[in-house]
Amino acid sequence: MGSQSFSDALGVDYGALAPLLIVLGGACVSVLLEAVLPRVRRRSVQLVFSLAVVVVALAAVIIRATSGAGDVVVLAGSLSVDAPGLFLWGTLLALAVPSVLMLADRSVEPGGVFVADPEALAEAQERVGAGSLRSTSSGLPSGTGTDTHGVVGRRGGAGPEPTTPPEMHTEIFPFVLFALGGMLAFSAANDLLTMFVALEVLSLPLYLLCGLARRRRLLSQEAAVKYFLLGAFASAFFLYGVALLYGYAGSVRLADIAASAAGPLRSDALLFAGLALLVVGLMFKASVGPFHTWTPDVYQGAPTPVTAFMAACTKVAAFGAILRVFTVAFGTTALEWRGVLWAVAIASMVIGTVLGITQTDLKRMVAYSSVAHAGFILIGCLAITPAGLSGTLFYLLAYGFTTIAILGLVSLVRSGDGEAGHLSGYAGLAQRSPVVAAALSFCLLALAGVPLTSGFTAKFAVFSAGLADGMAPLVIVGLVCSAIAAFFYLRVIVLMYFSDPAPDGPTVSLPGPMTTVAITLGVAVTLLLGVLPTAALEWAGAGTFLG
Amino acid sequence: MSSELLSQLPPVAPASGAGSAAWILVALPALGAAVLFLGGRRTDRWGHLLGTATVLLSFVYGVVLFFSALALPGEERVRDLPLYEWFASGSLSVEFGLRLDPLSLTFVLLITGVGSLIHIYSVGYMAHDENRRKFFAMLNLFVASMLVLVLGNGFLTLYLGWEGVGLASYLLIGFYVQRPLAASAAKKAFLMNRVGDVGLALAIFILFAQLGTTQYTEVFARIGELSPGAVTAVALLLLLGACGKSGQFPLQAWLPDAMEGPTPVSALIHAATMVTAGVYLVARSHPIYDLTPTGQLVVTIVGAVTLLIGAIVGCAYDDIKKVLAYSTVSQIGYMMLAVGLGPIGYAAGLAHLLTHGFFKAGLFLGAGSVMHGMADETDMRRFGGLWRHMPITFATFTLGYLALIGFPFLSGFYSKDLIIEAALGGSPVRGWLLGGAALLAAGLTSFYMTRLMLMTFFGPERWRSLTPRSAPWDPSLESEAAPQHPEPGHGSPEHYHPHESPPSMTVPMIVLAIGSVGAGAFLVIGERLGGWLEPSIGPVREVEEAVIPTGLVPGIASVLMLLGAGIAYLTVGRRPVPVERPQRVSLPVRAARADLYANTINEKAIARPGIWLSRALVYVDNRGVDGAVNGTAALLGGASGRARRTQTGFVRSYALTMLGGSLVLVAALLAVALP
Amino acid sequence: MTTTIGEAIGFWILGPVALAGGLGMVFSRNAVHSALWLVLTMLSLGVIYMLQAAPFLGFTQIIVYTGAIMMLFVFVLMMVGRDASDSVVEVLRGQRVAAAVLGIGLAGLMIGAVAQSVGVPLAAGAPSGSNVGGLGLLVFQRYLLAFELTSALIITGAVGAMVYTFAGRAKSKAITQKERVAERLRGPLEKFGSRSGPGVFATADSVATPALLPDGSVAPESLSAIIEATARERLGHATELSRPGDEHDTAAHSHHAERGEIQGSQT
Repeated sequence: MGSQSFSDALGVDYGALAPLLIVLGGACVSVLLEAVLPRVRRRSVQLVFSLAVVVVALAAVIIRATSGAGDVVVLAGSLSVDAPGLFLWGTLLALAVPSVLMLADRSVEPGGVFVADPEALAEAQERVGAGSLRSTSSGLPSGTGTDTHGVVGRRGGAGPEPTTPPEMHTEIFPFVLFALGGMLAFSAANDLLTMFVALEVLSLPLYLLCGLARRRRLLSQEAAVKYFLLGAFASAFFLYGVALLYGYAGSVRLADIAASAAGPLRSDALLFAGLALLVVGLMFKASVGPFHTWTPDVYQGAPTPVTAFMAACTKVAAFGAILRVFTVAFGTTALEWRGVLWAVAIASMVIGTVLGITQTDLKRMVAYSSVAHAGFILIGCLAITPAGLSGTLFYLLAYGFTTIAILGLVSLVRSGDGEAGHLSGYAGLAQRSPVVAAALSFCLLALAGVPLTSGFTAKFAVFSAGLADGMAPLVIVGLVCSAIAAFFYLRVIVLMYFSDPAPDGPTVSLPGPMTTVAITLGVAVTLLLGVLPTAALEWAGAGTFLG
Repeated sequence: MSSELLSQLPPVAPASGAGSAAWILVALPALGAAVLFLGGRRTDRWGHLLGTATVLLSFVYGVVLFFSALALPGEERVRDLPLYEWFASGSLSVEFGLRLDPLSLTFVLLITGVGSLIHIYSVGYMAHDENRRKFFAMLNLFVASMLVLVLGNGFLTLYLGWEGVGLASYLLIGFYVQRPLAASAAKKAFLMNRVGDVGLALAIFILFAQLGTTQYTEVFARIGELSPGAVTAVALLLLLGACGKSGQFPLQAWLPDAMEGPTPVSALIHAATMVTAGVYLVARSHPIYDLTPTGQLVVTIVGAVTLLIGAIVGCAYDDIKKVLAYSTVSQIGYMMLAVGLGPIGYAAGLAHLLTHGFFKAGLFLGAGSVMHGMADETDMRRFGGLWRHMPITFATFTLGYLALIGFPFLSGFYSKDLIIEAALGGSPVRGWLLGGAALLAAGLTSFYMTRLMLMTFFGPERWRSLTPRSAPWDPSLESEAAPQHPEPGHGSPEHYHPHESPPSMTVPMIVLAIGSVGAGAFLVIGERLGGWLEPSIGPVREVEEAVIPTGLVPGIASVLMLLGAGIAYLTVGRRPVPVERPQRVSLPVRAARADLYANTINEKAIARPGIWLSRALVYVDNRGVDGAVNGTAALLGGASGRARRTQTGFVRSYALTMLGGSLVLVAALLAVALP
Repeated sequence: MTTTIGEAIGFWILGPVALAGGLGMVFSRNAVHSALWLVLTMLSLGVIYMLQAAPFLGFTQIIVYTGAIMMLFVFVLMMVGRDASDSVVEVLRGQRVAAAVLGIGLAGLMIGAVAQSVGVPLAAGAPSGSNVGGLGLLVFQRYLLAFELTSALIITGAVGAMVYTFAGRAKSKAITQKERVAERLRGPLEKFGSRSGPGVFATADSVATPALLPDGSVAPESLSAIIEATARERLGHATELSRPGDEHDTAAHSHHAERGEIQGSQT
């Protein structure tokens, strides 16, 4: 069997596969760079390389999307490169650019979030006298819960003079690329087995990234362990569901499941039990309530750039997969199972909204808001129509950029040497830094869905699709929840503009170029999609899934 | 009726020529605002000049547009300029664009014209203020938003400008942040405007939901498709928005407090332009109001009630700016009354709006000039005999005063008479009530304005023989007495050095005074304004069956005016004015001093229930929401009853929640699938 | 597809054994015992595969999983020390009952669902061709992408393990015993005693400070009889410090759990 016929039998279409291959290949090269390069040059080389990989992959997606090449199923039916899939890929890669920039930033926090050895850094700074990194964590009121790093400076400990900038864990770059590769494969997977492996490929680097905030090691690692344990728990559900569906259809291909469901009588118990378990695994990743419980703790504990990457990209990938599964594999049986998932969407919106009201930490608030938004997005997924598909895709794009901008801004507001997560730290922020306060207000308004922001357009698209598909009760719940949720976004804005800043309140650090670019990108896209959404809406509605 | 009306709507042509770049009108002041806001201290030195220049250029361009429109035949004067389509989703489309028609161009000229004058005036007035740059930035923001409001070709664009002017007004009222009164006035204005804005937003929602569009062209063409109830609801909700923005009953209380802002702001925003946005809204939506007599009736009632309230309360105040503010409330009531009367009154209301824009802005600038010379004093009891010290201010102020009270052949005379004539029409009961209110208020206007003139410019120079105010300043007097200044020593005779203001302030006053004298005659005689506005608001209809013959109205109004002035002279001019405010006064005066209890009513009717509601919500939040959360937790996790235990921080309890969710999901799907 | 009697006998013997192995793994307190229970399950599964005419898969299961991976587990457990068992005190009221009820409920539902479909023809079929060849075709053609993606998973795992275990202090000079003693004497606590680990809320983990249970109460077994007075003296302070306000539902709780456990094992 020659190589030609082998790749023919597989259906290898390098043009279609290019983005995935570029990202995964880039990840492998990045691991090699880690091994080969001297320590001092790793960060800059890795940053440039990772960005280049993401940008080239994005270019490949754009070329593919504009070339007019039709939708194809490649690699023996395990991957489907179709119009919505390309939109998801484009969204993921576009969101990866600001994420990578934020991950690499070292200006906001000395040495970056991923500093390898905060103790050595603290020592160095103490000797230089350029501000103490010594922890006062033991004196902090324990309830604030954030940024309690336990570095107690060593007095008299001799160390090398800080001739080089502090080291950081440059391994984060291959991790991000692997996670991104997993996300690309996840959102385009055409059979459940590939989907499962891709799920693990995207999850494992995220678990690792969550635990890498060495400054507040225990909180960060606790978040990582929680995410890992619950993620493994959810994966088990997913795998069990795959097994049941295999038993039902004799295949794990999405299209085969749909064909079996339309075929002669089989045991529907297997189909729906399998669907339920599959949905648990998918909803977990998308942090849809009641499978959201990890979200607040992990969002809060993880390093903020990782939270941003996770909140934006994981949601895109997870909902991409949900859309594909619902449409391709279960589209024909939608009438039977949709009512149950209505309840899930309602639960998610209500949980996110109600619990969001009582949060006092901004990152936790964003986490609960993401739960509520997951419910809104689910409305679009449940409307198995072209309008629902395009609305959901647009929502994911809009939500991703807004979230990245918010978390980037949150990382700027710092007290002592950690982020001032607590809401009270935002009192009077407008007086300390009008620009940050204005940008944050704008993004929060976008989350609330105020007109002329992307949030409004996205909600409008999703809700009108839901309404058109006969889900009026669900849409009404969605509207009520958006109205309630607007309360806690506005509360932050009111706090920033109408309260007096506390004298010992947090400071706003000046972001370096990378974080600035990331935040600006997020805010600009939020504005652009709010003001001129038509082009993106059209691209989102360019086609349908290919089974 | 609807088919007759629809045929009246002129065709809408796309804008071309000079009109195709009409966005420049808005872009110029918006650019000024952006440069000044973002430029920071670097622009401190020349920022005010840039701000003034952008508005002036806008004005020039507005004049060009005006003349190019004049050159067109009447039926081609309504032009649309689509700017961009926000989004199109199925049958729903939302687009932004500008509408150039006689109505909007009239407002453009008023806004940019008066705006330019007030910018020039502010250069002198704010010369010593360290925040001058911010002030000009906000003024520019206001002008840009106001232009968006009047130029929009749909309700959504209008709403954008509506919120923009609200923001600018809020910022400018609270401009003197260090004064607690200013902060509370800004908050009050903000809240009462919100009430109105909700009405406007709801009206737009209804239109969008029913018709799928918010563009004027389509809404007005298809408004007949709506049920009469829906049309009335839309009309009343629009009116609520108009009441909030224009300080009409029952939302009038914020406007007098808004005088805490700098005086040029009072002149531009809270007298000449923004507060007339409500009148504009009703006139612009005339195809809606024409379909609902109920809606029109409510508009006229609101207008009549407001013009009386404003005139009565205006008689009782000693604060020069507050008297002018209540006068504004009252005059806008006239305009509301007029536009509520339908095709008879649109042109009259708009004519009064324009003349009022001139003379009230002039009066406010005069008041500002007086304050400038009198160390920011606003209490008229402490003025007196100022005409010797500030002759130009006195002369321009007098012309504005005469115009306002409707002195024959000055501006107010013509425009107010038109309104009174229109109000006297219709059924006898209605004619007597509305017309009577309008006539009575004309007399009252004359009374309080004469009183103001006498106390400020004539009589002995009371400020020479003052004793310093007793310190400390008592904030509890705030609602009763005129705003006072906390600095001890303020109020001693040495404190006041009345002098004429610099030319940058007097020139705009002179220009406005000329307008106050001539605008009325120019606009009204020969129905110049009515003819010009015809493509926008339809032809002017003659008053039929007035309860008083139309020919007698000018005479009666003049007699009432003289009567009011005479009473004022007898009660104020011939007796010495006590410097301290008399506290033992009759009940009506006390009621008027308390704003006819508007604040009390607001407090009782709106604030109290609001507080109760929020308390109830807090209670529900504490008991209900937390309880529900706890209950869920207890059910699922079996955790102890401590608050919010669903997020315990324990991974095993999270897993339990997920397990519970999965169980329910599996059970529900199996139950659905296996009947 | 019929089932022979021998196959049925094999299944009904090995099935319960595999199930017992799984339950034993979950419920045994000792980590090494757990690992051995798991070995039992895997061996049973391997034999079941062989009975199902998949000898290659069966042997792979035994050689790779039981032989290699599980032995690795056991080695690691031995190195870590088999005494390091988890605290089994459950502080969340009702957690176990609820978990048991929900778990049994879910199991019941799944059994019901599968039982419903017994007798309905299933579509699953054996791979074509020979045992090894069929697997090869699946792995290298049908599921090539999944197979290749697995390598990404393994690379990530390897790099992650290095990142987490590498201390990153290679450059700094090792601290001598003498320096360490001096530092402790002049340490932040100004007295003998060791410092708490980084990142916890605790100020000290000396024997004089009682350990706290995850719910914030003092663990009685951490109170030393010899220095009872000191312990009592610090008791109020420590309890207060570690009991966060009700409004903070943060992740803080489990730190105390961790701290409590560490101290519990120390004292």
